[in-house]
Parts: sequence; C-alpha cells; structure tokens
Amino acid sequence: MNVKRFTNFSITQATTNGFLIGALALGTVSLLLVLLGISPAAIGYALINGSLSSWLKFSHVLTIWTPLLLCGCGLLFTFRAGLWNIGIEGQVVLGAIGATFLLRQEYSTLPPWALISLAMFCSFVGGALWGAFAGVLKNRGGVNEIFGGLGLNFVAQGFILWLILGPWKRAGIASMSGTDLFTRELWMFTPHGWRVAPAALIIGFVVFLLTGLLLSATRFGLQIKAVGKNPLAAPLFGIRPDMTGLCAMAIGGGFAGLAGGLQVICVYHRLIPSISSGYGYLALLVVMLANYKILPVPFICLFFACLAAGSIQLPIVLQIDSSLSGVIQGACVLSALLVHGLRKRKKGAA
Amino acid sequence: MKSITTLVTTLVVFCFLLLPASNAFSAGDEYPFGLLLVGPANDHGWSQAHFEAGQAMEKVFPGAKMLYIDKVNPADRAGITIPMLVDDLVSKGAKLIIANSDDMKDGVREAAMMHPDVKFIHVSGDDVITGKAEANLSNLMGRMYYGKMMAGFVAAMTSKTGKIAYLGPLINAETRRLSAAAYLGARYAWTKVLKKPASDLHFKVSWIGFWFNIPGVTSDPTLVAGSFFDSGYDVVLSGIDTTEALVVAGQKRKDGKDVYAIPYDFKGACVSAPDACLGVPYFNWVPGYTKMIGQAIKGNWQQEFLWLGPDWKDINSVKTSTVSFEAGNILGDKQKNGLAAFTKELAGGLNLFTGPLNFQDGSPFLAAGVTATDDQMWNLPQLLEGMEGASK
Amino acid sequence: MIELINIHKTFGKVQALQGVNLKAKAGTIHGVIGENGAGKSTLMKVLTGFITKTGGTILHNSVEIVCNSPADATRMGIGMLYQEPLDFPQLSVIDNFMAGADDFSPAQQRTTLAKLCDTFGFSLLPESRLEELTVGERQQLELMRLIRNGTKILILDEPTAGISEKQQELLFTALQTLKDDGATILLVSHKLEEVTSLCDTVTVLRQGKVVGEQHRPFQRDDLLKAMFDTLPEHNSPPEKKNNGSPVLEFNAVCSTVGRSGLKEISIDIHAGEVVGMAGVDGSGQSVFLKTSIGLLQPESGNISRLGQPPNISFGKKSRKTVFLPADRLSEGLFPGLNVREHHILATGNSVFLTSQKGLKKSQQAIDAYSIRGNPDTMIEDLSGGNQQRLLLSLIPDEVQLILMENPTRGLDVQSAAWTWKHLHKRLADNGAIVFASPDLEEIMEQATRVLVFYNGEILLDKPTDKTTYQEISRAITGQISKSPSHS
Repeated sequence: MNVKRFTNFSITQATTNGFLIGALALGTVSLLLVLLGISPAAIGYALINGSLSSWLKFSHVLTIWTPLLLCGCGLLFTFRAGLWNIGIEGQVVLGAIGATFLLRQEYSTLPPWALISLAMFCSFVGGALWGAFAGVLKNRGGVNEIFGGLGLNFVAQGFILWLILGPWKRAGIASMSGTDLFTRELWMFTPHGWRVAPAALIIGFVVFLLTGLLLSATRFGLQIKAVGKNPLAAPLFGIRPDMTGLCAMAIGGGFAGLAGGLQVICVYHRLIPSISSGYGYLALLVVMLANYKILPVPFICLFFACLAAGSIQLPIVLQIDSSLSGVIQGACVLSALLVHGLRKRKKGAA
Repeated sequence: MKSITTLVTTLVVFCFLLLPASNAFSAGDEYPFGLLLVGPANDHGWSQAHFEAGQAMEKVFPGAKMLYIDKVNPADRAGITIPMLVDDLVSKGAKLIIANSDDMKDGVREAAMMHPDVKFIHVSGDDVITGKAEANLSNLMGRMYYGKMMAGFVAAMTSKTGKIAYLGPLINAETRRLSAAAYLGARYAWTKVLKKPASDLHFKVSWIGFWFNIPGVTSDPTLVAGSFFDSGYDVVLSGIDTTEALVVAGQKRKDGKDVYAIPYDFKGACVSAPDACLGVPYFNWVPGYTKMIGQAIKGNWQQEFLWLGPDWKDINSVKTSTVSFEAGNILGDKQKNGLAAFTKELAGGLNLFTGPLNFQDGSPFLAAGVTATDDQMWNLPQLLEGMEGASK
Repeated sequence: MIELINIHKTFGKVQALQGVNLKAKAGTIHGVIGENGAGKSTLMKVLTGFITKTGGTILHNSVEIVCNSPADATRMGIGMLYQEPLDFPQLSVIDNFMAGADDFSPAQQRTTLAKLCDTFGFSLLPESRLEELTVGERQQLELMRLIRNGTKILILDEPTAGISEKQQELLFTALQTLKDDGATILLVSHKLEEVTSLCDTVTVLRQGKVVGEQHRPFQRDDLLKAMFDTLPEHNSPPEKKNNGSPVLEFNAVCSTVGRSGLKEISIDIHAGEVVGMAGVDGSGQSVFLKTSIGLLQPESGNISRLGQPPNISFGKKSRKTVFLPADRLSEGLFPGLNVREHHILATGNSVFLTSQKGLKKSQQAIDAYSIRGNPDTMIEDLSGGNQQRLLLSLIPDEVQLILMENPTRGLDVQSAAWTWKHLHKRLADNGAIVFASPDLEEIMEQATRVLVFYNGEILLDKPTDKTTYQEISRAITGQISKSPSHS
C-alpha cells in the first residue's frame, strides 16, 4: 500500500516539474523574443516546420538524435557514479578515430557489413579507453575527473587534427575538410528517401535499453548508484569505489565512442576535425535537464535534436541567427536547475 | 511560486496568439536557387562577394530567388551536414545549389548524387577535372592569379624595405598557386620596373591553418600580421578570407609605422582601414553565376569546369570580369602608372608563369621560355624558388 | 572579569547546560574540565557567540553583555583559540596575521608581529607558508592574532592536543605572561595534569551542571570523582566466553593519522571477547578501528585479522568482519538509497534485480529489528536509532569480528539495551566485538575487557571485572603510566 502511494506521488511530481520547467523556459524565451520584436509564434512554426513537417526532415532529426542519445546514455552511467564526465567530447572523438582507424585498413577479404561492425566495436573501445584513462588519472593521480576530462578533450582535439593534417591526410593535399571519403560500400546502409541509417537507430535503441537494464535492474547498476551516493560507505559493503567509478567511466566513454563511430560511418563518411559536433556537451545539458533520470533522456534528446535541426530554418526563413536554438536549450536547462533547486530547498525547509 | 507560474503561462499563451506566422511561399514562374556560404554573409571577404553576386542574380533573371545559409562550416553549425542543408533548400523549391567552399566538396558530391534533378555549382572544387562529379555538378573558379600578380606588383612598388609578407590560409594547390602568383608579380615590379637586384627582395609566406581565424585551432592572424610588421615587413598581402592584416596595418600606421596591407576577395574590403590599403584583388561572381544559372534556366545545362579570368577590356566590369584588382585610394602616381602599364602587359598576353622558373627546393619547374599549362598552374606542387615559407 | 550566571542551553529536548555559574577573574587562569559531552564546548560556544544561550546572564566587569555572533564577542575582547586553528594554510604567516586586522598597513603589522614574537619567545618567519608549519606554530600565530585584536578574555580549547612538549612549554609560558598582564584565561582540557599545574581555579562540569570548583592547591582525587560521577562499586560485565583463538592481532602498529595517531600498539584480541575502548575523542580509538577494518593503512607494524592481513574484502560473497562507523549517514550508509537497496548490496549475489528483489529480506529485517519504515523508505528519512538498527540488520550471519564506533550514539535507553542484547546474541563462539564508546557505563556493562586510549597509546588494558571506574578515569586523563599488556 505504502509503496504504491509513494510511487504515484513521485510520478505526479515529475509531471508537475516537467510542466513547470517547460512553462518557465518557454515563458523566458518568448518574453525575450517579444522584447526583441520577433514573433515567438513564427519561430515556433519555423522550428516545427524544419524538424517535423516531413519524413525527410524528421530523419535528419534522427541523425542528430542517435549520437545524442548514445552520449546521454554514457553520461547516465558517470553521473550515477557521482562523476562529472566533462571529457565526453574527447571520448566521442576517440570513438570516431577508432572507427576511422579500422575502416582505413585494407581487409579486402572481409565483407562490408563485417567491417562496419568491427569499426563500431573499435569506436566503442576507443571511447572506453579514453574514458578509462580519465578514470585512472583520477584513481592513481588524484586528478579530478573534470580537469582530467577537460585536458583529455584538448589532447583528443589535437590528436584528430594531427591525424587529419598528417598521417591520414587526403591524397595530395592536407585539408581541414577531413580525410578522404570512404568508399560507398563502407557507408552504413540507408534506404532511399531516408537520411538516417536504420542500423544506427537500432544501436541507439539497444544502448538505451541496455543502459536502463544495467542501471536499474542489475547489482552492478545499484553498486554504481551506491558509490555515487556515498563512496565512503562503499568499502564497508565490499564495493570498491575507485574500480566502480572506473567501470562507469569506461562504459560511459564507450557509448560516447559509439556516437563518434556513427558520426564517421553514417553522417560524414570521413573523419573531420569537429566530428563530435558538440554532442557530448549537449548531452550533458540533456542529462541535467532529465534530472539524471533515465526515462526522460530519449525524449529530451529528441526535443534537442528537433531544435538543432529546425534551427537551420531561422536564418533561411527569418534571417535570424540559428544560435537561438542554443538559447532555448540553455533556458530549458536553467529552468530545470531552478525548479529542481527550489524543490530541494522546499523539501529541506519542510 | 504559484502566481509566477500562472503569470508565465499566461505570457506564453499571449505570445503565441500574437502575430501568427505568415510565411507564404508564392509559386509561379520563380526560379529559386540556394547559396551555401562558408562564412558570414557580411564578412567583407569571400562569402560576401558570393552573397552580393547572388543578390545580383535576382535582378539579372526575373523570377530568380535566392535562399541562402551562411556560416556553413562544422565549427559554426555543428552536426549540420551539406546533404541536410541541400535537402532543406530543395524542399523549399531550390532548383540549383551553389556551394562556395572547397570544404564542402564531399558533401556537395553526396547531395548531387541524392538529387539528380537539381543542378549544383561547386565553387573552387575540381571534381569535374578529376572525374568524380555527377553530371549535375559543375565547378566554377576565377583566375585569381592575375589579381594576385597585380597585388604583388603594387606591394613591391610600395615597399621600402623590400620585405613583403603573405598571410596564407592552409596549404593546398590553390593557395600555393596564389602566393606564387603574388611573388611573381612582386618580383616583376622589383627587377623589371624598379631595376633592383632580385636578391634584395624578400617574400615570406606564413600559413595560419584555415581560411579564417578559429580560436584554438588556427594561428591568430592578428598576431601573425603584427609580428610581420614588427620584424621589418612593410607590406602584408592577405590570402585569408577576413581582413585582420589590413586592420593591424591600420593600427600600426596610427602608431607611426609606414606599413601597408592588401586584403583579398571582396571589392569593398578596403573600408576597414583605407589609409593602409594598397588595393584589393577581388572576385566578381556575377559573370560565372550568370552563365551557369542562365543555362540552367533555359534548360541547356552542361557540366563544365569554368575557370574565368579578368575581362581585359574592362577588368572592373561587374557584368563580364570575374577577377579584378581595385586600386587603393592612397596609391601615388608612380604606383598607379606602373600598375596601369603592368595591367596592359598582362592583357597583352604577359604570363609570369614562364620559364626559367625553379621550385623552392631548386628542382626545375619550367625551362626557359616555356609557359605553364592550366593544369600545371592548377596543381602547383611547391612554392617557387625565392619564396620563404612551408610548401607542404 | 567575566561572570556567567545561571546559563541554560537546550537543543530540542536535550538540556546541554542547566544553570551553569562560573566566575573567572582578571589575571587568572581558570580551568574547565569534564568528560566528553559534559557541556564544556557548549559553554564556550555560548561565550563566544557561536551559539545563543537559552537563558542566563553574562557579565563583563559587572556589565551585562550580549554576544549574538562571534563578531560581537571579538568586539568585546573575547577570543577563542580552537583545537584546529582557523587559518589559511596556503598563505604566508604575515598574510594570515594581517587577515582580520582593522587597517591594512603591512609594515606596521610586520613590526607588531615581530614584537609579539619577541614577547612570547616564538620564532615564526613572516614569509613561511602556513602549510609548512606545525600545528603548534599555527596555534602560536593564532594566539598572537587574538592578542593583536585586543583580546582580554582568552579561551583555549584543548590547546595541547597534537603539539610537541617544547611547544607546550612555550605556550604555557606565554599564558603566564598574558595572565600577569591582567588577561582572563579560560582553559578547557581533559588533561588533569596540565590543568592542575597551570590553573588558579578549576570548574568541573558534568551533564551540563557545575559539580565542583576548586582553588589552588587542588585535590586531584576529588576532581576526578566530580568529573566521573559517583562511581558504582560493582558492575556485572557479561560472562567471558572461552578464550579462543586470536581474532585480531596488532604488533607494534604505528600510524600518524588523526590528532594522536597510533603509537606502537601491540595487542591480541581473542574469540569470545567483547572489547570496549575508552578515551577522549581522537585519542586513537577511531584510527585503531579503521586500521583494523582496512580503511587506513598503518605506517609500520603488522596486523593480522582472522589470520590474514586486514584488507577490505572487495566483491567477496561472505564478509567475516564488519565495521559500524560513528557517523552512520556519512560513513556507513548510502543516503538516496532505500532500505531494500541496502539489503541487496549487503547480502546476496544475484546479478539481475527485479523490483521484488530483496523485498522479502528487508521486510523480515524490518520486522525482526523493529525498524520504523518500509522497504522503500529512503535511508536519510530514518531516525538515528532506526539507521543503527538497519546497520545491525545488515551484518551477515557468517560474521566473526564486529568493529563499532559509538554503537548506541543517538539511541534511547531501550534501543541501546535492545542493540546490546542483539549484539551479544550475534557474537559467534569464534568471534569478537571491539567497540569504542564515550560512555564508561556502557563499557563496564557490556565489555569483557577494557582498553583506554590516551594520546595514541593504550594506557590501560584489563578485564572489566578487574578494574574500576576510578582506574579508567585516571587512565583517560593520563594519570597512570602505561601498563603491560594483559593476556
């Protein structure tokens, strides 16, 4: 009885919170737009029109949604473990490098589907190693994961530039526009009229389900949560806080690496300097907006992806800078932090 | 808390009732075309030159309507790809797409493959030559080496120290070609007009890494230009899309230094520091656009690789001359007359890419009396002997 | 002169101070002694405005004063030297000295510092960084800052904890100098030795009341008796079970963690023993326990626990040693996790968890241990007593060694009795319990053997039926010399 009442209560509250956050963010942005003399309705129409008005557009949204979701899933692991994995950008980059590394090798005997699968695996390994590296720096070197991650982001950015302008440069000339395109066989299969590879969507779904399962229905997930809540008590329960954190970093990094792999194999078909598209940082906002809970993450990712894809309409149709979508995303997250913060204070005061 | 919520909600509803969207797209005999600009549409450089040519098309062809997106580069628009943008422009009715950066090469090719009914103009690419392009994709470029020769000529005519610097973007065949052309122009002025020994002329190239400043990724062009002026170079030619070199020159002049700069790309580029501007080699995309869009509208589109030069009859003609040099207001009579004579010689068939010329490493490029072919110039593999700076 | 009249302070239902009267004259050193929780710290905090009193009057030179904040107290010339100096370790001596000065005049402050150093015989280099100094030297700096700020009433809280003998001498000389200058000094301490040698008057507090006051010359035995209540003559410790195989062996173990560390601790604890550890907080009991469980590594010496080195058994299914820390919520439990999740983590080893997993077990535990809550209650919503009961319910069946800090802290009498009944029942024939407690009565009633820690050493080690409250009290206050190890 008690249990049921408790659950119902929290679901109701989550809905109220969601509504409050939405209203607050929408209100602030609309107010800002009205003050600037821009019609919020026109903006809203352009954004929706640019993201949901046709399957083609929506499939573009999905190409953004998938890597964003993968990064979000990765971050759920690290946030659960009480770690601020700001190094996720670097992990995406290393995943992309891992996938490119494999696809650049000459395996004439292997069929393309096997190569692509291997490349995705490589991208997972690349991201996982980079994430684990930040974890080892924390455990062994006492480097806070925020600073370690930030440093590794710069290293990853330098590394990818060096690869593109150096060893992996285009035939003839080095170019900031990336490495040579892969041959058509090594692009992930995309049906006619689609812009997103069905396999990428499946990877996104599977990783999300796996994340939900691991975090909420396994002992491992509970241990990660426990370490995140109180690393001091963990040893008394036979849990190693450092190793658990490291695992979370590796898994989180691996999922981020998959996002990088998809960027290479499905979206750009080559390695480019800004391969991560900032999805790592964006995913940090997603997970914060989700209040570190699992279920809202894919929906918020979809919302953010719609904003990102739809925002391109703003300069075309309305001659408004598309960075407005960033303002909307930021307003959402700030509203969320505000609402959750107020709730917490209220609870503390009560 | 509750009253705030109510207030906010009311506000939102109010805002949405206000000004309903009215984005009517009228159909009819319109010919919408899309323009993808790598930089901002008002960059006083490469992208603005394209933007203004696009605007001119709306006047040249009644019914032509430009849809443009600027700042199309992965740094400014993370996650947005060329095929995605092309899809969108096509869904808005665009029948022809112009992409203005070498960077967009792969994306344009992919988009051309996806939209065989739409025509594509890729500016500065060479997929037609290499045979990678689909039939609906053409390349367009201007023979800017003429403009750069004139810029180098004016620079050498002006320089007192004989030290001329070239602020280069990234290293590729195109940028090697253009910096070499500037060097040849400068050498011509120095040895043939001023009759000074070639060994007294210093020509240094520094590459910042991209067409414009990307903090943290490229060298800062402001700093590079500043260090040129501080180490005795008194004229800096800009090879990048933005005007840092000119701005720095303007500041140094205020500090009492006798230095100059030559910007690039856009006719109006001198405005940021007219007293330091010796002139600007610029592109005028109207002729190229007019030809290609005209063919597309009439239905006789042909795939081609169009490498248009100046109209020697009137190099500043908007209608006909793709490449030109706009002389700066501060040029003295000596420079003006020299430039006029030089232009006449170029119009008369003078080609500075004529032997004997050696590459930077001393290996022979052209034997005495031999003139470079278009292909040799397009794919220049190294800088030339006499130039300082990295070739690769 | 400072006069405290009928001071009361209540925290909720707890009466921390119940009508305390104290009069400290100018030009004297006034000692305040008492066991842990007697109310010494609370009284000093009232005086320095750190907490507000519930009732009573404070007179300063016969004028009533009101201290609502530490700033008020500073204005009135009341300053306190805390156990842990309140300073900026990254800054230099002179920067710290200047911090909090009324005016910013480095040259002048430098002269003042040099003068004060000269007066007290301290040698502090103005440029050295604080983190390079010892606790004693930081204390000296703090003292000089207080004097510079015009402190007339100086309060010292356990000033000799963690400082060397030489520094102690310097400090005492400085205090004498200040006293001769007419300052009023209040010295809070549990070390009878230093109190009786330094003070002119001593006030004894117990359970928030003044239970004795003496002037020089002091009667130590009377002071002891006052501190530790009328000591019961008899006690009935639990019957000692078979003196079995060693469960925990320390051999010359040294550690520098904490205020006192561990100094060459050698001790054997055998199966069947219930060992109670007494001593002032921070005398080494906590370090001893944490070293035993493996949370802390000793700097030297050998430890054998159940025949093995004391490492935390990570990921093992059976845990033979458990540790129940004093601060349950921040060291022993996971706030944000519910009761059921704690049971899953503590027991069982299934990989996949359903929403039913552990439900039965935690419901059983809730019933068996009378925990007021349900399996979905968040741990931080449980009361202290229920948190302790939960911790007890998490002890696995196979346990052989139970280590506990303040096992009944925050529990009412009934819960405490219930807890001990349960613990004795859980003590396997091949197992032992080692616990630290500030409550002597608890030790005498529950333990078979008592260890008294003083400054990182074990001063007393005896079966509870062969010692007295008197002897233990003397050991706690450092009045006896180290006895040879029992057993």
